[in-house]
Amino acid sequence: MKVSGFWIGIVLMLAAGFVLAGVADNQFLFFAGYVILQGLIMAVAWNVLGGFTGYVNFGSAGFFAIGAYTAIALHQFAELPLLVLIVIAGIVCGLIGLGTGYLTLRLRGVYFAIATLAMAIVFESLITNWDYVGGSAGAYVITPAEVPFFDSFIEMMFILMLVLSLICVAVSRYLSMSRMGRGLASIRDDETAAECMGVPTLRLKLISTTVMGVMMGVAGAPFPFFVTYINPLSAFDLLIAVNAIAMPMIGGTAVWFGPVIGALLLGTIQQIVTVTISSELNILIVGAVLIAFVALAPRGIVGLFQDFARKRREGGK
Amino acid sequence: MRFFRQLVLAIAALAVVVAYSPQVSAQSGKPIKIGFSMALTGVLGAGGKSALIAMEIWRDDVNKKGGLLGRPVELVYYDDATTPAKVPAIYTKLLNVDKVDLVVSSYGTDVIAPAMPIVMRSGKVFLGLFGLDVNHKFKYDRYFQIMPAGPNPAQDWSRGFFDIAKEKGLKSVAIAGADAEFAQNAVKGARANAKQDGLNIVYDKSFPPSTADFTPILRAIQATNPDIIYFGSYPANSVGIVKAANELGLKAKLVGGGMVGLQFAAIMKNLGPGLNNLVNYDFWVPAKTLKFPGIDEFLKKYQAAAAGKGVDLLGHYLPPWAYAYMQVLGQSVEATKSLDDKKLAEYIHKTTFNTVVGPVKFGKNGEWATSRALMIQFRGVKANNLDQFKMEGTRVVLKPDTVKSGDIMFPYKQ
Repeated sequence: MKVSGFWIGIVLMLAAGFVLAGVADNQFLFFAGYVILQGLIMAVAWNVLGGFTGYVNFGSAGFFAIGAYTAIALHQFAELPLLVLIVIAGIVCGLIGLGTGYLTLRLRGVYFAIATLAMAIVFESLITNWDYVGGSAGAYVITPAEVPFFDSFIEMMFILMLVLSLICVAVSRYLSMSRMGRGLASIRDDETAAECMGVPTLRLKLISTTVMGVMMGVAGAPFPFFVTYINPLSAFDLLIAVNAIAMPMIGGTAVWFGPVIGALLLGTIQQIVTVTISSELNILIVGAVLIAFVALAPRGIVGLFQDFARKRREGGK
Repeated sequence: MRFFRQLVLAIAALAVVVAYSPQVSAQSGKPIKIGFSMALTGVLGAGGKSALIAMEIWRDDVNKKGGLLGRPVELVYYDDATTPAKVPAIYTKLLNVDKVDLVVSSYGTDVIAPAMPIVMRSGKVFLGLFGLDVNHKFKYDRYFQIMPAGPNPAQDWSRGFFDIAKEKGLKSVAIAGADAEFAQNAVKGARANAKQDGLNIVYDKSFPPSTADFTPILRAIQATNPDIIYFGSYPANSVGIVKAANELGLKAKLVGGGMVGLQFAAIMKNLGPGLNNLVNYDFWVPAKTLKFPGIDEFLKKYQAAAAGKGVDLLGHYLPPWAYAYMQVLGQSVEATKSLDDKKLAEYIHKTTFNTVVGPVKFGKNGEWATSRALMIQFRGVKANNLDQFKMEGTRVVLKPDTVKSGDIMFPYKQ
């Protein structure tokens, strides 16, 4: 029953997206929606490794940018369809994620986090000096004025991002609720004990980092087509990495829907603030909300609700 | 009683005349909305804020004169935080939700380029503020960019610098640029100019934009013994370069080129005599050859408005151009008596505009038809004195010849 409820929810979300695309004249909704969904994929991806497995990744922007630049490189080489670019970017970032997984053989905790940060810096330096993809001067993408089946290019991008988000959420839910998810949770709680109990920790960690890499690559690949001009500064933007961590922390890292709640909440607030108060306030808001949650509700919104429900139950008894 | 009746009638008649005068009707019409995103925070935040002050001065000036087409002008803007990813959504909101009548750009290539596809699809005329060669890919015939870098911006930017080198018979050049968008375009143009002039490039390397200590880089350059050193650098780099150049005593004969920051009041005041004899690009300096109608009044208003706002106090670099690109738009609307983008674009293409930065004529690609990027030389700069930069003489215009205000002090030596 639970499973069917989830899938009904997925179908409803997809249908809502198509209805919105059909009826809404306001293109701004699609732009804002795209950014929120991009943040959602990044948050879900980060949570697969950071929340389920307990390995903190500070280099999210690196994976995102590699996805974006893989798409740019292939677009320069041969103007392949966007879907093909997304698949290849996912594979490339998945392989990098797999490599990151092997880092966990020697690095744990804060050392792993530092290594991911360093990796992002290495990639940024490589891209900055790679003229084929525009180097530090950046690269332009001309998007088509008309696309089949949609009223505008951004409508198509929004629906594409919605589909990708729903796939990522489904994968994350599967990882969290399956036998594999329990293995990942055991690594998060005590890796040595899990190893002793026969949990194949390396294999699970490799799956976890690869899935994270694929998802982040998939989120990054359409970005150049959304923004039409990309340079290393915008692709490796600190806010991308900060949001990828903040959204799951705010929503709750232990369950698959925590990052979804966090991303929808924080992403929407950021979009509203951009056109009402100030764009720069976004960073301040993320920082302040993050500190508040880490200090007052370390298990995020989901944790707050669980505590509330437990207290009500106990009160009822 | 009779006198009282006549007085009332006279006042009523006067009221009718005033009510139907253009100025009053202008203030009562539906505003013409001009929309844009602006880099009010982030990397280019200080520049963006000063541009906004200039644009607000233009709005107030226009509204005082009765607005455009008898309607008041309203600016509708959002902060893009110098972040390209925010720009598409902002321009979509401006066009779809706020329903602005006209659009202009934010400040800088990074935040102009992402707006282009949105604006192009709406068919709007788009005035750009300091974008470097943005239109070379888009080829949009309604895009016009106000920075006077010329039709081939990357190369025209440094042409004056290399013309000086040619006149002095210099043979070898060292090129060093920060690894970021503007600086790399600048050094690319410098490289092309050096090759075109048959110069021997003895050093050609990049440095990270975060570099502050330039002693090792300048030592490496010094070791190659170049006649010319061309830098493409950002404000923090430029400060580091000038300081290191003074410490090391560079032997090159011509030094400078594309150093951003050496046009800003606070940096010029801070570096003081260390700037002397450097030859660098600029767009406007106080010189008899650049005294265009309205510039002094504008700067007076800007300097009064800028006080205490944490922006450039002199306002010589970006603000006049922010005012001028609004003037181009305003003059076009008045001349065509229309907000029709097709008519406006046609008019802008064929017209030479009189602005506070002088006559502006756009070429086919929307850049200036001919370059007026200045090469200036710092001269007789004293320590800790901002007012000296308000007067003619501390920055002498060497190139282009049409606006030259003095001869070069040669060779460069500290």
